[in-house]
Amino acid sequence: MAQEPYVEEYAILAGDFSAIGEASTKFKATLKMLGIPSDLVRRASVIAYEAEMNALIHGGGGVLRMTVYDDRLEIVARDEGPGIPDVSLAMQEGYSTATDEIRELGFGAGMGLPNIDRNADSLLIETEIDKGTTLLATVIFPSP
Amino acid sequence: MSGGIKIRESRCRGCANCIKSCPTEALRVIDGLVRILPDLCIDCGECIRSCKDKAITVNDDEWDLIKSREGLILMADPTFYVQVGAYSRPRLMKEALEHHGLRDLSEWASLAFDLAAFASARLIRDAGDNLPYISTYCPAVLRLIQINFPELVGRILPVESPLETAVSIWREETGAEESVTLVSPCPAKATLVRNPVGREQSSLEYVVSVQKVIRDLLACNVKVTGTKTKAISRRWLLWSISGGESRHISSFFDKGFTSISVSGLRNTQDLLNELELGRLAGVDFIECRACDLGCIGGTGTYESRFLSQLRLDNIEAEWMPSGEEMEQIRSWYDKGIWRLAAPVTAKERLPLSKDIKEAMAKLREMDVIYAELPHIDCGACGRPSCRALAEDIVRGQGEVTDCVFKLRERITNLSGEIKNLSSKLPHTLHPGRKRR
Repeated sequence: MAQEPYVEEYAILAGDFSAIGEASTKFKATLKMLGIPSDLVRRASVIAYEAEMNALIHGGGGVLRMTVYDDRLEIVARDEGPGIPDVSLAMQEGYSTATDEIRELGFGAGMGLPNIDRNADSLLIETEIDKGTTLLATVIFPSP
Repeated sequence: MSGGIKIRESRCRGCANCIKSCPTEALRVIDGLVRILPDLCIDCGECIRSCKDKAITVNDDEWDLIKSREGLILMADPTFYVQVGAYSRPRLMKEALEHHGLRDLSEWASLAFDLAAFASARLIRDAGDNLPYISTYCPAVLRLIQINFPELVGRILPVESPLETAVSIWREETGAEESVTLVSPCPAKATLVRNPVGREQSSLEYVVSVQKVIRDLLACNVKVTGTKTKAISRRWLLWSISGGESRHISSFFDKGFTSISVSGLRNTQDLLNELELGRLAGVDFIECRACDLGCIGGTGTYESRFLSQLRLDNIEAEWMPSGEEMEQIRSWYDKGIWRLAAPVTAKERLPLSKDIKEAMAKLREMDVIYAELPHIDCGACGRPSCRALAEDIVRGQGEVTDCVFKLRERITNLSGEIKNLSSKLPHTLHPGRKRR
């Protein structure tokens, strides 16, 4: 019998910098209750945090969803923003298209996507100019 | 572990004011009395601060019983020496104690704190990229990390509390075996004695609060003779204020040393959160204290932390140890007596189930229960939040009717049913028809 996965979703509101990090904090609490080992929890938190940041800074808000299966977890971030013109450029450390305003707030260092890539076992990016971007990051649970 | 905190049941009203002050939600009110959940308590003392009835206190030993023992030896926390106006120099406090027939180990403490700072500097210097390191000094912060930030336990400096090391050095150097009593400014340091982390057993046997000892000395009008004797080095006293430890460690670095010192629980939690998210690149060392302004703000102190701070600001410390002192430091450093015996490990709360499938099912159940609760975190059920009640229920440690709003809802429904049922008559007993 297929086990239903546990799903948790979080809406990221455009321009809402006050709530930054809330999604990753909630996801982290859930993972701990489920007994997921701490190093996996840390990786998932970093992925969720950076994805949340990207959706907020560049995507004009969006949705973050975490799905926990019994052998892995998936974090999907979806926005309807401008899209990423050159993904390989965006994956370079230090490359950032953040506005001056954003940088003044202390964000936009250009480390988001590289950080996600570093912490995920696999990362899929689907993007279309003027349509939006969807990120799918997977963290695999090692078999006991 | 609630080794540092004591509840005086006769004074507890079960008002639940304290349960919301706890940073790890370790308090519950059960059957009208506050209870501490030992696997969540970090001994920070926030509950002590918030209790209006003084029902919660530092779990110290009976000072009146201890002080009458023969040959009593005290290991006093650095805060002890800055608690009273005229006594802004440790030599004076030491003499005050001796007038009272008490001996203290302040010279050994001075060496132990130098040693801890030196060892820390060495570890940080040799850590390469694997920085920052986190200070061990505040036992409450240590426990907070074990419970709420388990991913950071590897960053904790494996350096023992110098309060403990001082006693170890004294015993090794003199062969003394008498028991030593810690004079502690807080419940967290009381756990050094009662429930040590990173070692099997403490070399200290008893603990009393700074407040009790100072009150006693003042009550006895102990005078100070003002003899001119060798001044005990004062740099170790500055560990009692936030930033002091970092300053001490930095004195052993000839080039750059970047540290961040914060005090107070909120600042500590915020900083550790940032560290967890990997946002503190370029920082070598992090010093966190659970109490505002550092140990001088502990709940077991006597003096206002602001006045203690003023006194500490007036202390001019000689940061460079003398040639002789350095020799001693190096020799004890090589012996490794400063090192934590065992690594600090994570102490996470048990997941809802060991089996992830069952845990998911329970989490879903918890979400359903939570959705039905009022979400105002009022504390009337004895839990700090509606989320905590939902969790307790799913763990088999509570019922939905513990919530007074759910109880009222059930009663309303029940009374609606009673009204409904009482208006029904069997067909054979209709009120309109005459009975013969």
